[in-house]
This record gives sequence, structure tokens and C-alpha cells, in this order.
Amino acid sequence: MLRFVDTEQDYPAQRAAAERVRDFKEINALFGPEGDAEQAARCSQCGIPFCQIHCPLQNNIPDWLRLAAEGRLREAYEVSSATNNFPEICGRICPQDRLCEGNCVIENGFGSVTIGAVEKYITETAFAEGWVVAGQPKQETGRSIGIIGAGPAGLAAADMLRRKGHAVHIYDRYDRVGGLMIYGIPNFKLDKHVVQRREKLLRDAGVQFHLCAQVGDTITLEALRLGHDAVLIATGVYKARALEVANHNALPALDYLISSNKQGLGDDAPAISAEGKRVVVIGGGDTAMDCVRTAVRQGAASVTCLYRRDRANMPGSAHEVQNAEEEGVVFNWLSAPHAFHAAQVEVQRMRLTSTEMGGRQNAVAIPGDTYRIDADLVITALGFEPEDLPTLFNTPELVCTPHGTIAVDRNFQTALPGLFAAGDIVRGASLVVWAIKEGRDVAAAIHRYVMASKVKAA
Amino acid sequence: MSNDFYSRAATLAAEGLYSPADEHDACGVGLIAAIDGKPRREIVEKAIEGLRNVWHRGAVDADGKTGDGAGIHLQLPHAFFREHIEAIGKNPKGQVLAVGMIFLPKKNFTAQEHCRAIVETEILRMGHRIHGWRQVPVVSQVIGDIANESRPEIEQIIIAANTGTEDFETELYIIRRRIEKAVRARAINDFYICSLSSRSIIYKGLFKAEQLTEFYPDLNDPRFISNFAIFHQRFSTNTAPAWHLAQPFRMLAHNGEINTLKGNVNFMRSHEATFGSPVFHGLEEELVPVIPDNTSDTGALDAVMEILTRAGRALPLAKLILVPPAWSMMPELSQAHKDLYSCCNSISEPWDGPAAIAATDGQWVIAGMDRNGLRPMRTTITRDGLLICASESGMVPVEEADIVARGRLGPGDMVGVHLGEGKLYHDRELKDYLAAEQPYGDWVQKIVNLKDIVGDAAPEPVSAADGTTLRQRQKAAGYTMEELDAILLPMAATAKEAIGSMGDDTPLAVLSAQHRPFHHFFRQNFSQVTNPPIDSLRERRVMSLYTRFGNDGNFLALDKSHSKILLAESPVLLGYELQALTRHFDKRITYISTLFDVHTGEAGLREALQQLVTRAEEATRAGASFLVLSDRGVDAQHATIPMILAVSAVQSHLVRQKLRKKASIIVRTSECYDVHALAVLIGAGATVVHPALAEESIRAAHASGLLKDLSLTQALENYREAMSLGLLKIMAKMGISVVSSYRGGLNFEVIGLSRALVAEFFPGLPSRISGIGLAGIATRLQAQHEAAFDDTGSEALPVGGFYRARAARGEQHGWAGESIHLLQTAVTKGSYQLYRTFSASIAALPPIHLRDLLDFKFAATPVPLEEVEPITEIRKRFIAPAMSLGALSPEAHETLAIAMNRIGAQSNSGEGGEGAERYQPRDNGDNANSGIKQVASGRFGVTAQYLMSARELQIKVAQGAKPGEGGQLPAFKVTVEIARLRHSTPGVSLISPPPHHDIYSIEDLAQLIYDLKQINPQALVSVKLVAQAGIGTIAAGVAKALADKIVIAGHSGGTGASPWSSVKFAGAPWEMGLAEANQVLTLNRLRHRVTLQTDGGLKTGRDIVIAALLGAEEYALGTAALVAMGCLMVRQCHSNTCPVGITTQDEMLRKKFDGTVEKVINLMSFVAEEVREILASIGARSIDEVIGRSDLLRQVNRGSEDMDDLDLNTLLSQADPGPHPRHSTRGVRNEVPDTLDRQMLEDATGALERTEKIQLAYNVRNTMRAIGTRLSSAVVARFAPDALMEDHITLRLRGSAGQSLGAFLARGIRVELLGDANDYVGKGLSGGTIIIRPRPSSTLVPQEQTIIGNTVLYGATSGLLLASGQAGERFAVRNSGADAVIEGCGSNGCEYMTGGTVVVLGDTGYNFAAGMTGGMAFVYDAGGNFPLRLNEETAIAQRLASGYWMGVLKAMIERHYQETSSPMADQILASWEWQSTHFWQVCPKEMLARLAVPLSDAREQA
Repeated sequence: MLRFVDTEQDYPAQRAAAERVRDFKEINALFGPEGDAEQAARCSQCGIPFCQIHCPLQNNIPDWLRLAAEGRLREAYEVSSATNNFPEICGRICPQDRLCEGNCVIENGFGSVTIGAVEKYITETAFAEGWVVAGQPKQETGRSIGIIGAGPAGLAAADMLRRKGHAVHIYDRYDRVGGLMIYGIPNFKLDKHVVQRREKLLRDAGVQFHLCAQVGDTITLEALRLGHDAVLIATGVYKARALEVANHNALPALDYLISSNKQGLGDDAPAISAEGKRVVVIGGGDTAMDCVRTAVRQGAASVTCLYRRDRANMPGSAHEVQNAEEEGVVFNWLSAPHAFHAAQVEVQRMRLTSTEMGGRQNAVAIPGDTYRIDADLVITALGFEPEDLPTLFNTPELVCTPHGTIAVDRNFQTALPGLFAAGDIVRGASLVVWAIKEGRDVAAAIHRYVMASKVKAA
Repeated sequence: MSNDFYSRAATLAAEGLYSPADEHDACGVGLIAAIDGKPRREIVEKAIEGLRNVWHRGAVDADGKTGDGAGIHLQLPHAFFREHIEAIGKNPKGQVLAVGMIFLPKKNFTAQEHCRAIVETEILRMGHRIHGWRQVPVVSQVIGDIANESRPEIEQIIIAANTGTEDFETELYIIRRRIEKAVRARAINDFYICSLSSRSIIYKGLFKAEQLTEFYPDLNDPRFISNFAIFHQRFSTNTAPAWHLAQPFRMLAHNGEINTLKGNVNFMRSHEATFGSPVFHGLEEELVPVIPDNTSDTGALDAVMEILTRAGRALPLAKLILVPPAWSMMPELSQAHKDLYSCCNSISEPWDGPAAIAATDGQWVIAGMDRNGLRPMRTTITRDGLLICASESGMVPVEEADIVARGRLGPGDMVGVHLGEGKLYHDRELKDYLAAEQPYGDWVQKIVNLKDIVGDAAPEPVSAADGTTLRQRQKAAGYTMEELDAILLPMAATAKEAIGSMGDDTPLAVLSAQHRPFHHFFRQNFSQVTNPPIDSLRERRVMSLYTRFGNDGNFLALDKSHSKILLAESPVLLGYELQALTRHFDKRITYISTLFDVHTGEAGLREALQQLVTRAEEATRAGASFLVLSDRGVDAQHATIPMILAVSAVQSHLVRQKLRKKASIIVRTSECYDVHALAVLIGAGATVVHPALAEESIRAAHASGLLKDLSLTQALENYREAMSLGLLKIMAKMGISVVSSYRGGLNFEVIGLSRALVAEFFPGLPSRISGIGLAGIATRLQAQHEAAFDDTGSEALPVGGFYRARAARGEQHGWAGESIHLLQTAVTKGSYQLYRTFSASIAALPPIHLRDLLDFKFAATPVPLEEVEPITEIRKRFIAPAMSLGALSPEAHETLAIAMNRIGAQSNSGEGGEGAERYQPRDNGDNANSGIKQVASGRFGVTAQYLMSARELQIKVAQGAKPGEGGQLPAFKVTVEIARLRHSTPGVSLISPPPHHDIYSIEDLAQLIYDLKQINPQALVSVKLVAQAGIGTIAAGVAKALADKIVIAGHSGGTGASPWSSVKFAGAPWEMGLAEANQVLTLNRLRHRVTLQTDGGLKTGRDIVIAALLGAEEYALGTAALVAMGCLMVRQCHSNTCPVGITTQDEMLRKKFDGTVEKVINLMSFVAEEVREILASIGARSIDEVIGRSDLLRQVNRGSEDMDDLDLNTLLSQADPGPHPRHSTRGVRNEVPDTLDRQMLEDATGALERTEKIQLAYNVRNTMRAIGTRLSSAVVARFAPDALMEDHITLRLRGSAGQSLGAFLARGIRVELLGDANDYVGKGLSGGTIIIRPRPSSTLVPQEQTIIGNTVLYGATSGLLLASGQAGERFAVRNSGADAVIEGCGSNGCEYMTGGTVVVLGDTGYNFAAGMTGGMAFVYDAGGNFPLRLNEETAIAQRLASGYWMGVLKAMIERHYQETSSPMADQILASWEWQSTHFWQVCPKEMLARLAVPLSDAREQA
């Protein structure tokens, strides 16, 4: 360990941009055993692990780095999976440069430990070696839990609850398991088989999936609550944040991405394709990056990203910006859409204001300073907002916050007894890693709740 | 002074932190004996004169007059008493007389009468006659007020023996013991029999040595004649005066300290059950307990030695039994001596600790030394037949021409006179004499070795164990992945303990919300000031882990029964060995389970303990010799009683039942995996420990390939080695060398166990704040057990978090990511608001420190903030504590110094020296000169110039990170720059010894303080101690030694790298140490004379004000200052990989340093501002107002529900300050008396002012100390370092020079001494020249005589010493540049040396060149014994093989001859060709590749 003083930071090989834009396969290779151990051994084994502090899951990163460096991958997986249900997913899609790696003590001056890549390697090795097995409970508790939403929060909660011996039923309105992990995130970041592998493990453990089940439509919330000892709402947030420009014809990012992902899963050709088009994507988050890079792969004539702040103030992962740039995406910083014209977008130039300590800088328009760019397809990726669940679920007594998210107490309980909520629908649009964290926490709360109550008559 | 000192002390003992049991003493001691056994008046007179010449080894109380005690033991002057008897009209003719010297209660006449009646009754009961009482004339005006207050009525009772009595002395002994018992039964205090004998009498009391004859005019009577005299001057750490503690005792006078007292006393209780001796006529029961309660260490040793000699052991044999030499690793000993020592070890566990002893039983008069030789004892034999032994040469003046031999006692040595035979026995003769007395060789044959029983058995690899159950048991026993991977397995892999840095910021075990193993409640004790810790690595030969089972023979008998024992080499037992043992002893071995039903709670636990001790007692009574306490079989239902609790319960029960000696306690436990747990188990009384689960864990790791290609046997042996070495280290830091004396001694302080629990199961252990009892233990055990067995989630062990912070289920740490970030942002931006957010975040943490349970009593009306003293005043009290350049990068070190200087505060250089270029401010005004210069045990870079550059000199006796231990600067940190400052070689590792080799006791500390006040006539001297139980009395001693400031460091702080077991488990919180020191100093009216400073994890204004209220005036912020400079608590300081450039010497990493002077100043200013706000809120305008105002604090949290109590009132208790304020009023510094240098400075005007060469001549005495030091100070102040010729000022001295001759002697001064000198010659020699040779009138052969004392050239950096004669122990220890020629030396010569060239023209003692990593030595060895005496760990020895080095050697011997006319040098030079083949050249291994000229010419040619 502590080899950062003499070992340079290194990432697993990345496919060349010219090659990778031709398909939707993952762009990052896996470490080999030597590369993994060597990079893990750069860890300084800090007295205070800032990587862990800034990990939503509080993963014991220094510990599994050390185990990986020592070649003790099985134990590394045990430690890593003890705090994280889907480490191979986090290893792929977490914005490590803003979380663990971004706070690595040696980042300044040496380059942080490549934590995500090691995490991915550990877990892929665990899958390859057959160490990853379904979380079979030792005994059944006789309790039954219903979970609405098969996204990361719901799946993590299901995993934890099933291990405790509860019967777990997951209801999702889509036809596949995974939520945004399956329909939102493109394959080149997270290959679908990675998610489906987890789905299979959960099924093997006995988790029941009820797909194409739209609460408030095909089934009622009331029925779920009657049928289960507890119900968890983990629907995520899907409603695209609106673009505040009059008369725009922009497409919401999710519509675009779902269409593309379905194709990747072998469904019909996408309803919307960027092929041959001049594409403009508005937004600077990870979803925007997914859109621009998808467009590149669909064969767009050009792809431009508009973001109202500058590169330093991007909310998304810097790695993703870099990947996109390599793949030919043009970034127009300090640019916001001002008006839409036929096959053109009029762009307002922005400037940054000074700010209070800590927060991001605000962007304000420079009056009169606009320019136009060509656009055949405009996609907005301005973030997501919660849908109106009380209406959707036909449950007006469900209390929401002013932001539209569901109000819960410290134990994730909603206003209704036995009804819990967690994930994006509670905290607002966020990262997969936060969804896993909430899924784990709410599972613990539900476990306490159901164990304290009598078994419902079957 | 008020006359209720005792009641104040008693109150403080009851309510505060003072414990009278903690007092220590040390002193000057001596004896004179007539070799022909014939009494002379001269002996008495010489002894009295000797006492007058050791005043500087004693101390004076706060009243300026009361000494700590002195006394003399003489032959009974029959003529003197006969006259008295005749005067009262009786005729003593033909009678055998005895006299009792008795202290009676003075003020309570009823009690006095009772005592007289008891004394008379017991004498008559034995059938003897009484001639009456004699009131001893005393002159009370000469003694101090405190002494007078407590002065007893001093009377003598004169007895005539019943005719027909065969052994009057034995009967007098029995009479005395009966009297003592009877008086104790009546609960009468202040009664004490100094002596009751027909042979000898003791006059002693609470006065200074020179007042002996003034107080007791009897002694001036010419009829007081004697064939021996033993005399003693005491220096007590504390000032609680006690007449009966003055020495000599009935048998002995002792300079030193018994470190193993508790264990010895406990085992003595067991030995008593075996007592049987024909001489006592069946009265043995009346003689026990041999050691009455509240006896001092020396008193206890005296009592045991007395009963052994009364039972018929010759006095020298009793000394060997109780204070044996180290022998098992001494290759040169004869088999007869080894057999003798082996039998002695079987009779009794040693009384271990520094000891120079003078003793008599009326037949023999002996002087003896402990196994380490840690106290000085110089011997002189005169032409007219006197043996004189004394702490200092010259103490008893003798004409040079009358001396026939000058010598010294080495480690374990004795010298004695048999008064009856009229014969002198030197060490060898004495031991030959004893070895021939009994067939020891035959007896030893009977000893069985564990190895013989085990035979060929070896650990067998097991297939991978059932992972789940192993893990469950690991979890139940509190294992974490961290403990396993960071602590346990490294021991198996490397045979060493793991290292950590940056202190301990986790909660005390009692405050933790996590499961904490039981051994975490015990804090290791350690030596500071009053006795030295030992270097268990470099001085391994004196250490012993030999463990003896089954020695249950009659303690008072000397026969073969003592050899019916089983011997094991280490107290760590592996599984296959326990199996073999079990098979072998079959019916004599009984297994007792420590399991209980974990769901039965407190009641179940209590019942289990009861059953446990009952079964242990029954088994022992039924004849079991081995009790195995086993926790095998832990499952979901059953947990184990914490094994330490089980062992101590059994141990204390068996001791009470006097059965302990009948059975050995073997422990088979899951809970012991680290060295601290092992130490606590052994300390609680375990004979051996089988760490079963640790062994199983290693097996599992081995099976899964984690230990690479290590064999299982090797891995287990590695683990045993690491555990054994760790145990040795823990013993050694207390100054204990032998595990048998450590066992059962409970040398710990408990923090957080309930008083009731401790009183019941750990009798004698301090537990000052109480804590959890059986109920809490049961609750916590159950929670831990359920967590281990109710596991539906991951199977992985918890990751841990005790050593390094972990978020999930990890231990709380005081420094967290968020708080570090807040503080760094605050100091970078200069935002006080952000600092307050930081401070609030610290305050919001769950309790970590004791202070977190306290809060202020806020004033009803706060003081307006603007009326509180400004931050400029407050900041001056802040210190950037000692962090050496070596530990810190130069950038960080200088930044701290500049910042602290800029705000009028001080930084501390640490122990690594400081470059002279920093002594003057820079051109831009920045001053990087550390105000405080540290003097630590390594003395690195401690030159006269360095010492003179300071405003304060700090003697670091201990440091929070590793009290009682030395350190090692690894080779990769010794850069060119570091090597320059430390006077060493780049790339070669440096070792700091655990003790200061010039501080083995309190009077030595006084001497070092004296030396430092000579070399720097302005600087204050501070002494840094680490908090522990008993620090109050140590602090009092330090104050009496004339320190100006005392630093109390807490266990938690400390940035230094050291073994984790030391970082985590040694020392106590500063809150306790500071409060105790403040209370005891105040009680003794010493508080106002010294400033108190504290450190250890201070972060915020709240910490500072609490420290002030508990008594501190100054506050050191170490870690906080580092964090302000960018430290992220990576805790890898020892790896040289600090990613922020603070604790590294790596060029690349140093560039990452981002700290600035401003950030440090911001921190200090913010903390000061917060202090102001708090002061205002408690109604104070300045810090001075609130120092010691613990009444302004209240306890706001009594810990968790399941505790018996957690009571901090002992910390908040206030001692009565009398007429003095509660803080220091010392204006300048506490001045020390002048020495010869005062005269010399006047006489040297020419040399100093007009820069002329001069020569001065003086007669000197042993009372003139540190000659030349003050003069050096003047020379260094006046001249540039290399400006003067070697002999600019020549001092010609004649006589016996006092200690520290030529300490820090500067270049330009040449000392020529005709005569001899005492300890510490050339200490810190800084370029000066010292030449010592016998007086021309001497007829001695110089090379056969001891001419200089112990620890000569300690820490010398340059200069020359030539001495025609031998040196004592530890010659040239830590020498880093001086050259020397001497003609023989004691043990541990050239230890830790890093530079200079030493030539020894004669024999050395053992362990030469231990830890030597630089410099060169040449040893003349005609007999070819030297290789046996070399410590081969770090150095090699070879015959001369290089023309160059032969030239170097010859030139030095020629110079030696030129300067001293040494006959030895002459003889060698006369036939150089032949003689030069007798030399060994000793060279450190690390230097071999770095020498400019190699050791062998041949190799060069090849």
C-alpha cells in the first residue's frame, strides 16, 4: 500500500473514440489482476477515509482496496458487497470524480486512486468466480412487502428485505426490471446484461416481479396495502423539467433515451433516431451526456451541447464531458436556449455571477448577446421532477412536499400507515448510488416496522 | 504553616486524586565496614561526613528546612549504654544487652503509654529483662517546621537477655513483630521501631543529612564506635513527611525503587502459606503478614530480607534470592553460578527495579546492585582495612595515598565483609562461596522443561476451518477485520507489532458506544523520573520471560524442593503445547469453564464468577497444580466471562486463601490477540496464556494462503515472538525485567470500571472515576453476543474503525473529515465564524474525552467581552508542542516556529536539534528559532550552542504517544539535513533510548536541571511528563528538583509514530493527570513555584478553559496546528509518505506543503478569541483568575444507563492553597545553588574579556557539580564556535569531582583532573577536552581502578576525553561525535552511539555497542572474551585489518599516553606490533558500506 509515491495513476484501457462511436458497447475495459492490484495499492490507507466520507453508501473503500491490492478478491467482494447491493453498477456509473475519487487525499498532486475501476474489477471477478449468489434467507418471517418501482432503490430494498426472510413483490409499470438503469442509462456506460444479471439473482432469491403493473391503473394502491404488511413507493422521478422557452419543439431526454435503449434490448427500431441529424442537447448533467453520446452513436451529423454555466460548474461527471468531447461532441459553454427557429436554435450568451462560498455560481444572461446554431433535433436534459403521485395513484391522502416529492418521516414512513417511500421520489432526482443507499435504509426501517407488527392473515 | 498537613492530605486522598501509595524516593546511600570486623570510632565519623557530602542528592521541603530524611545504622555501642544503665543504678555486667530505638506517638499520651506497655509486655513475655527507657536527647531547633510537627517521641528501651537464650536476635525479631501487631491491633499510629537488636542500632529521622549529629548529639559521643556504618539520605518525590520512612531500615538502605512491588507483595501472601523454619519454634503465624499494609517499597523488601536471614539464609544469599542478577543469557557465567541463580529464581520471583543496596544482618555487611546496574555504587578499599561503598566517589574522603583499590559495582554485583570472619569478599568470591554451600547443580537437574514434555509435537496445519463458526466466534470475541489484518496477522507475518501515528482520538472504552474488549479499560503504567524504563530490544539480556510452574516449596527453607518445577520459555502457549501439557500432567490439571448463559444478565454473571472461584479453590485443595480457565464452547447461548475478570477473580481469591502458590493459572482464551490483552492477563495473574482464537485465526489465514510461503509453525512462532516482545516492551516501560515479578502485579490503571467491581476483583488497582460494573458488563456482553450470532446479513467481519476512522459501525474519532475541512477552510479564509462552526461541530460529538462530560457553571451576569484580556495576552500561553525536525518536514517545522514567535508564543524544537542558522531572525524579520529547545533521551543535536539559543529548555521525560519507550528514526528519513542536525550519518537509522541515561531517579533529574541551568543562565527548565496515576507525587518531586514548569501530556495526543499498543493503551487522559498534579502540588505548597502546562488533543477554546480550570497555565495545540497547516490525519507519518508534505522528508512530497504562518496564527487567534468569550460567560476577565478554579466546572453527564457510576468529582476536588494563589507566582526562574564556576568566571576575566589564554587551578570535591558548564556558557556566548584553540582556558583540578564534570563543555576549555570523577563526566560534551588521571600520590595501577562513573559522554557531540582508568556503566552512551580513550568500562558501553571514536584499553562489560549505528570503537582484549560481550544486533567486531584504521588507533593511544602518562598505553605502544593484534575494531553494520576507508585493506585490493 501507499504506493502512490512511486506508482502513477492509471485507468483500465478505454476504447479509442473512433472505434467506440460505432457501437453501444461499454467503452472501458476491465483491469487485469496486476493492474487492479497495482492501482489499489496506491491507496494511502488514511486515518480518516475521505473517500468513504463522500460515498453516499459509506463504502469501506480503503479496506477493499487493501484486500484487492493483496489479491484477496473474495474478501474484497465480501467487504464491498456488505455495504452495497450493486457495486458493479456503482463502479460503472458513479461520478467518482465528484464522490470518492474527488475527495481522495492524494488526488491533489498524485491523482486519486482509481476506486471505481477497482470496484468494478472486484465485482466482475466475483461474478466470474461464482462468488455472487442469490441472497437466500435463512428462514421466512411470514411477512410480505410490496415495492412499487423496480429501479435501483426498489431493487436494493428488495434485496435487503428478502435476505431478512420477507416475501417481496415488486410492481413496475415498465415491461423490464431496472428502471432508469435499464431504460435511461445507455449501454456504453452500463451494459444491460449487468442489470439483468442482478434481476436474475433477485428472482433466484425468490423476489416476485409484477411488470407492466401501473398503480392507479391496472392495480390499486389500496389493494397493495391490503395484500402486504408494508408497501414501499420507489417510483423514481420521470417528469422532465420543462424548458422555459416559448414554442419549443424539443424532445425530453428520457423519451429519446428510452427509445434508444429499447432498440439496444432488441425491441423495435427506435421511434426517434438522430441518424444524419444536427443534434442540439440542452443541459449539463449526466443525462445530457448520455443523450449527446447516444446521438453520436446513432450517426448524428453533428452534436452540440448547450450549457448555461461553464465547464467548471458542470453538474455532471468531468469524465463524461471528456468522453463526449473525444467522441466529437461540441460544447457551447455559457449558452442557454433563447428561442427556437426552424432548424435553428437561438442561443443566449450567459455570464457567471460571484457567489456565496461553496455553492455553484449562478448564470445570468448578457442582454442582447445571442447567436444561432443549426438544429434538426433538440433534446432537453434539464433534470427530472416528480410526477403527481396522489393523483396518479388515486390516493389524495398521500402527502407531498412543495417540490412534489413524497413527504416522509425519519423512518421513511409516509402519511399513511405501513406505506413507505424512498429514492428519487423522496429526495428528488439524484444518483443511482443515492437510490441504493435509500433502498437499504428504507429496508431496515420496513424490517423494524413489520417485525414489530403481527403477521397479517394470509 | 498550619499543623493539619495530614488532615489536608487525608482529605485530598479521599476526595481528590492524591494517593499516598504513589510516593517514590531515591537518594544517596553508602556503607563503611572494617574488614577485620573490629569497631572503630573512625567509621562512625567517616559515615557522618559521608552524609554531609550528599546533601545534593536529597531534597528540601517547601518550608526550606525539612529534609526528606536521613539516617545511620551502626553497631550497638555497648559501652555507651552500659554507662547509662549504671547511671540509673543497675549493674549490667555479664549481660547481653539489646537496645530498641523507638518512635512513640508524641501528642497522644494515652497512646504513648499503651505503646510502652505493649513493648514491655512482649519483652517480658519472651522472658527477657528490661533495664528501662531512655529518652533520646534531640535538638529539635535544627529541623524544619513540618518535620517538627510530626516529630515522634524518640526513646530507647534497653533490654538484658535472659541467660540461656540461644538466639537472642531471633527472639528480638519475634518480639518486634508481636509488638507491631499488637500496636496495629489497637489502631495506634505514629509508633515505629527503628531497630531492636543486640547487635546494631539505627538513628534516623526527618532531617537533612548534614543535620544528623546536630539532631542526635548521641552520635558525637566518642563511645559510639562501630565495625560498620550504613547511611542514607532520602529524596522523596512528595513532601508528605514521615519519620518512619527515613532510612536505613532494619536490614538495608536502598537507593532505587521496586517496580514490581504489588506483584511481590501478592506473591508474598502466597509464600507465607509455605512458611516453616525451626528457628521460629512454630511461631511463624505470628510473623505474618511479613509485609504490613502501607509499607514502602524499600520497607517491604527489607521485611522479606529480614525474615529470610532470620530463617537462616546468609545475607548475601537473601540478596541473590530477592534481587538476583540476570544470568540466563550471560555466556561467561560458570555453571555453578548459573545453578545457584536458577535455584534462587525458583524460591522467589525477583524484586525488580533499580537498586543500590547497603545491608547488614550483624554478621555480614554487603553492598549490592540490581540486575541492570541502574544506580551508582563506587567502592574504595583503604590501606587500613576499610571497605567504603557510596553513591559517589569522594563522598567519604580518604587520602589518596591510603587507597589500595577503587572500584564500582556492576549490574548484579555484590561486595561484602563477613565481620565475624574478618574477611572481605569481592563479587566473584562471594558468589563462589554461596554456590559451594549447597548442591545446587543436583537440584537444578530436577527442573523439567516444557520443551521436554512437548517433544517432537508440532502444530499441524488444519484444513480450512468452518468459516462461519470461526467468524461467529471472532465476532463474539470482538474481532474486526482491522484487528485481524492490521494487528494480528502482521505479527504472524513479521514477528513484529504494527506501528501507527497521530495519537488516539477515539473515546475511552467507558465512553464508547461500541463494543470494546475488556482489556481496553486498562491503561499501561510506565516509568517516568523516579525510575528508568528499560530498552527491551537493545538490553534483551537482562530481560526474562522464563515462566515457572509449580514452585510451591517452603519459602523459608533452602532445599531441593524448590527445583520441582516446570519451566517454559515464554508465557504464550500454543495449542499443541497445551495439549502436551494436559496429557503429561493428566490428573494434576483441571479445566474450568468460564462460560455462562449470556441471557442471565448480571445475576448470571455474578453467579458464574462465584462458581468459578469456588471451583478453582476446590480443585486446588484437591491437589490440582494447574488450573486451565477455558472459554471453549462459545455458542449462541453461551458467552465467556471476560477472561481478564475471570483470571483476576481466581487470582485474588487464591491469594486471599493463600493457595495461589499451589496452582498455576493457565488461560485458554479467545479474547487475547494483541499484546496489551496478553499483558493485562499476565498482570492479572495468569501464569501462561493460550490465545486460542488468535491461533485459530492464524491457522485459517495460513490455510487460505494469506501468509504466503510462511510455514504454519513459523507463522505461529512469529506470532508468539511478537507477543512476547510486546509483553517485554510493556514490562520494560515500567522498568520491569522479569515476567515472574510482573505477573499478578496489576501494573495498570483502570479507567471506567466501577469501584466496587475493582475492589472486589482487582484489589489494589486504582480506579479513580468508577464506571461500569457487573451489570454493565453483562448488558454489553449480551449485545455483542447477539450481534455475533444473530447475523442474517453479510458474513464479513465488521471492518473496525478503532485505529483508523470508519463510518459504518466504526468507533467515534475526535477528528472527522468534516471538522478538518471546516477548520482548514476557517484558517485559510480567516473566518472566525467558520471556526465557531468547527468548534460547535466538535462540541456536538458524542463524548470522547472526560472533559466532554463537564460543562462550565456560567455566570448569572457575564462580564462584558471588551473587559476580558485581549487575545494577544491569551495567545502567549499557547505552545506548538514538541515535534522534531525529522518527524516534521523543515517547511512545517519552520512555519510553526515563525508563527508562534510572531504572536509572542513559543514553539518547541522537538528532540532532533535545530540548525544554528535559525537562531537569528531572518532579514525579513521572521524568527524561525524555536523558543523551547527540547532535551530528550536521544540528545540529538543537544550542543551548548543549541541549549543557549532557547528561552526554555524542556526535558522530555515521556511523550503521550509512547510513554516509557524510546523511538527510532528510520533510515529513509535521515536525510543529509537531518543527519547534519543530529550529528549522524545520512541514511543510517537513529535510535532514542527509552530512558534518559542520566535520569534514573528523582535526584538525577535534579542534577540534569542543575546542569541545564548552568549552561543557560537565563532559560526556564520544564519537565514533560505523561498523565498516569501517581503523577501528582512525581510532579511534586520535579518541583522540588527546581524545575520551573511541568508539562502534563495526555495519552491521546502525540503525533509520534509508535506501536499501536502504546498509542492506544498507555498513559491516562490529561484531565486526570493535570488535576492530580495540580492538587498534589497545591497540597504541598509547591504549586505557586511552578507553571503547569498541558497538552493532548486540545482543539477549541472550550478545551483550553477546562484545562485552565483544572489547573493549567499554558496549553499546547499540536494536532490542531498540524491540521491548520493541512494535515488530513492520514496517519502514515512513519511511512514518509505524508501526502500534504508535513511529516515527510521526501523532496517531492515536501513540495505539497500548503501550510502558512498565517493559517497557524489564525488558529491560535480564533482559539484565543473563543477563550475570551467563554471567560466572559463564566464571569472572568483573565485566565489567571480562573486557573485551578475547578469549582466552576460541573459534571453534566454520568455516562450510559448501564454504569454503576461515572464520577469526576475527584478531578474537581480542590486542595487548600494556603497563603498562595492557585497559579504560579514564580517571577524569573527557580535558581539553583552556585558551583565552582562562579569563582572560575571571576578568575577567567582575562580569557573572556581580553581573549587571553589562561590557566586556573582548584581543589575540588564531590559536592562541586557541573564544573566547567557555566564557564562554557560564557565562552559560547562570547566566541564563535571554532574561534578558540583547544586549550584557551585550562582548568587544573585536584580531588574527586562531583557529578557532571565538564557537562556541555565547550571548545576552548580544557579540564585536567588529577583524581577521579563521578557520573556524567562530559555529558553533552560540545568540543571541550577532558583529561583525567590519578593523583601522583596514588600507588594504584590505573587500568585496574575505576576513575570515572556511569553514563560518561552521554549525548556528547564533539570533543575529547582521555581517562587513565576504568569507566562505569554505559560509557559513551549516545555519543555522536566525541573521541575518547579509557582503560576499561562497565556494561552497555557505546550504546546507541552514532559518531566519534572510542578506544577502550581494557575489558568491557557485556552488551557493548548495543544499538550502535555510527562511529567506531576499538577494544583491547588480550583474553579473547570480547566477542561474548558484544551485542551483535547492529555492530560487528573484527581484528584490525586496515593500515589506515590502525594509524587512527595508534595516534589516539599516543595522545592518551602523552596526556595521562598511562602505564597501559605505554605498555601497548612499547610492543605495538604484537599488542595491536589484541584489538577488536567495532563498527556498526549500517556504516560498513558508508565508510570512507574500509575496515580491511585486503577487501579493498580484492
